[in-house]
Order: sequence, then structure tokens, then C-alpha cells
Amino acid sequence: MRRSLSLNALLGASLAFFTALIGLPFWWVVSGSIKLPQEIISRLPTMFPQSFTPQHYQKLFQASDYPVYLINSLIVATSTTLVTLVLAIPAAYAFFRLTFPARGVLYRSILLAYAFPSIVVLIPLFGLFAKVGLVDRLPSLIIVNVAFALPFSIWMLRSFLAGVPKEIEEAAVIDGASTLKILRRIMIPLIAPGIAAVGIYAFVTAWTEYVFASVLILSDAKRTLPVGFSGIIGQYQIDWGLLLAGATVAIVPVVALFALIGRGFVSGLTEGAVK
Amino acid sequence: MQQSKALAFALVAPALLFLGATLGWPLVQAIQLSLQDVRVIGSPGSFVGLDNYARILSGPAFWNATGLSIVWVVANAIVQTILALVAAIILNEKFPGVRIARSWIILTWIVPTVVVVVIWRWLFSTSGGMINPLLIQMGILERPVGFFATPWTAMATLVFINSWRWFPFIALMMLAGLTRIPDDLYEAARLDGANAWMRFCRITWPLLAPTLGVLAVIGTLLSFNVFDIIWLLTSGGPAGGSRTLPVLIYETAFKGYRLSEAATISVMTTIFLMAFAVIATRALDRTDR
Repeated sequence: MRRSLSLNALLGASLAFFTALIGLPFWWVVSGSIKLPQEIISRLPTMFPQSFTPQHYQKLFQASDYPVYLINSLIVATSTTLVTLVLAIPAAYAFFRLTFPARGVLYRSILLAYAFPSIVVLIPLFGLFAKVGLVDRLPSLIIVNVAFALPFSIWMLRSFLAGVPKEIEEAAVIDGASTLKILRRIMIPLIAPGIAAVGIYAFVTAWTEYVFASVLILSDAKRTLPVGFSGIIGQYQIDWGLLLAGATVAIVPVVALFALIGRGFVSGLTEGAVK
Repeated sequence: MQQSKALAFALVAPALLFLGATLGWPLVQAIQLSLQDVRVIGSPGSFVGLDNYARILSGPAFWNATGLSIVWVVANAIVQTILALVAAIILNEKFPGVRIARSWIILTWIVPTVVVVVIWRWLFSTSGGMINPLLIQMGILERPVGFFATPWTAMATLVFINSWRWFPFIALMMLAGLTRIPDDLYEAARLDGANAWMRFCRITWPLLAPTLGVLAVIGTLLSFNVFDIIWLLTSGGPAGGSRTLPVLIYETAFKGYRLSEAATISVMTTIFLMAFAVIATRALDRTDR
């Protein structure tokens, strides 16, 4: 569809506005992390760094516990992703293809869990974890994050399964393939983009989770990045250079993951929501 | 057939059991806890019936927080809907780089909340932050302002930051609705002489309405539950000006050590939210038909 000149101008202006709205804060943070302290807090902020120093990164990795938090977060997020996929793929397939009693009710209650105010279960879960000795251990966070990522993951995978042409499955049935074999050999490879999307969703859920990690983890050596990092915010009397460097490093893993396998994520997110 | 039923259960059971143990069972326990008088985690409590409910419903803290939560949800809904709708309409156009824009718009949502907090705390700060000098240069402000210093500005700033984080997510869902509107409709309207604004009012808006309805429900639930951005930026302050229900629950449980009261508030919150979700989905189903 061709656009008039004025519409084009409007489009360009809005596009510039949104690029600035999203891009500028990130640019300021990333570029700020290599500025000298006096430039960071200068009265007239600079668009491009006038100074260069690696000192904030050195301090972050040598004088703070940030590397420990980073590793803990990577462990929690990766495990959350794997467990979520192992649980979500079979469930989504069963909800999508197989008939069983109470299917509708169960599916709807899973969707309801997505809307669940998570803080409600925080107190009882703490008690539960205390009883089985999981408090102050990373597996407790993995369990919690899987619980939060699972409902939406099942929802999203189901819509990806719905996108596979029915004929492919029917042909496999005629060839005598069992349900499990169809799932393993045909459906999973075909919905690989969907699996990547769900993987990102679970990873991001775990990577950003703050509340439960702040309550369930007690010792500093087990802290994940959001909680540990927010501790650094208060601990040093606002050392902005250190915070900007820490923020930059915390962005890197999710951005890298997204750049690698993020292509299907956006469509997965949107398709799952509207269907 | 019998065998396939067993197989179906075998596939679904792990996920269901997991959710039952991590969300369902704790919810039951939260209800139990709300009927007792436990103060610190692990200490025993005795049954007090509905005393907690009566006390909380008659005090001001719960109602203040409920009011703030409603303000929070409504303000977020307005800001996010406007930003997301404009963004979605742009992303639905064809221009160089649109594919990149469509995936990377989500950047604000995939980074940890704590990073969002650091970014905006710095940008809004009076030492080196960009917002104050920018607003002074544009002539909107005369001197630097402490954005988190008064209840009203703190709330407005929090709404802006939370909307910034969430609007791309909503925009992508709207985009999915937009791409489903056939191009022919717009073409026909153009031939009939409809301008861009008329095309938006007569085609885009009515056809997008069902999607917007679903998003209103999802968005309400999502923003209602936001805790970490508020907690990390203002801790519910200043003067309780941003103490929404999730903040109140967290404070009551982990700062005030009144577990049973916190459980009571959270149970009421859950009932309220679930009722909203059920009624809203029903209403949407009806308009769909």
C-alpha cells in the first residue's frame, strides 16, 4: 500500500520517537559504563563518551560478588528453561491433540494460573521449602520459576502445534507411527521455532525474577543477579559507574540468546496470546 | 482408545502435578494461614476464624492499597495502550528495517527488572541523569526535580517506567491482531476516499477491539502483580504513596512479620483478581458472539 507524503513524515517521526524511547536509555547506560566517574555525574550529560575507562568493569568483576551472582543466575535460568521444556512439550501436545476427561477444565485452570498473583504463594512456599530443606538452595528458585513459566509456555506451544498442517500427522498415523513417535520425530522438529520461543520465555522469566529470589535465598553466595545486584545498589553509596557496568553485563546474556534464537519468539508471543 | 487416554494423562500429569504442588497446594495453605494468627514463618499459630479478615477490612491500610492498585492498573492501562497501539500500527507498516524493529522492540521486556530500575533511577536522578537537563532545556522545568520525592510524582514516574517495560509486549500482541485485518479493506476504503483517520476509526479500531479486550484483561492482571519495580525504586513510598497491594502483602509478611495478615490480604486479592478474570472473559465471550 502506498502512503501519502504527510503520512510518511508522520511514520518517520513516530519511528524516531520510539527508537529514541527504547534505544536511548540503553545507549546511555552502555556508553555510560565506560565513562570516567566525573563524566557520569557531570551536570551536562554527554551523548558520546568523552573519556574511556575499564575501571567500573574491573571493580565489578574483582571487588564485588557480581561474578558469583552471574553464575548463579545462569545456572537457575538454564535449568528453568530445560525443566520447563521437558514438562511443557508433552503437556501441550496432549492438550492439543489427545482427548481425555476434564481436558477443557484442566486447560482453563492452567491459563488461570498464568494470571495468578505470584506473591500469594510466596509465604506458603517458603514454609514448604523450609520443611524439605530447600530454603537457601538454588533448586528452590528453579522450581518456582518453572511454575511461573509453565502455564504461558503450554499456551504458546499449543498454538505452534496448531500451526502444523494436519496432513503431516495423518500421513504418519497411516504409516503406523505411535503417538509418542509422532511427537518425537515429527512434531518436535516442526515446532522448533516455538520451542526456542518458549525457551527464551522461560529463560527471561528466571533471569529477571526478583521477589522469590530475595526471600528464598539467605546467603550472599547463593544470590541471583537481580537480588545480588540490587544489594550492590544500596551497599556502595550510589557508585553509578559500577551500577551501569553491572546493568550492561546483565543485559548481555538475554540479548545474546535473543539474537541467536529470538526470531520465532515474537511470533510465538503474539500468536499464543490471540488464539 | 483406553490406551490413548492413559497416554494423554501420562503426558499431562507431570506438568499438572508440578503446578498443583507449586501453585495449587500453597494457595490452599495460604487460606489456612489466613484463618490463624501466625506472625513469623515457622512459628505455630492457633485458629482465629475470620478475625484477620474483619480486622483488615476495617483498617485503612488495605483500602489505601486497593485504591492505589486501581490507580496503578488504570494509569498503566492508559499509558501502555496508547504507546502500544501507536507502536503496533507503525510495525504493521512496511518500511526498511521493520523486521528488526519487530523483534528488538521487546528489548525493554527481556532485560531484568533490576536493570530497568538502574537505568531509570540514573536517568531520573539529579546527579548526572539525562531527564532533568533535557526537560530544563525544553523549557518544561526551571530547576532539577526529585521525581521520587513526592507521592504523586513518584507514582507517575513508576507508571511511566513500568509502561516503558511492558508496552512493547502489548504492542506485539496488538500487532498480531492488526496483521489479521485484510489489506483489501483498507484499499477499498481508500478508493472510496476515506482518509487515514477515517480508516483507523472505521476499520482498524472496530476490528482490533476484540484483541484489545483480551489484552485489557491480560494487561490488568500483569500490571496488578508488578512488585519488583515499585519495591526497588520507592519501597512503596514516599509516605506510602506507591504502596499497592503486592507491596503491602510483602511488607506485612517480611517487614512487619505478620504472616497471617499478609496471607489474608493475599487471599482476598486472589479472589478479587480471579473474579475479575472470570467476569471479564465471560463478557468478552459474549461480545464475540
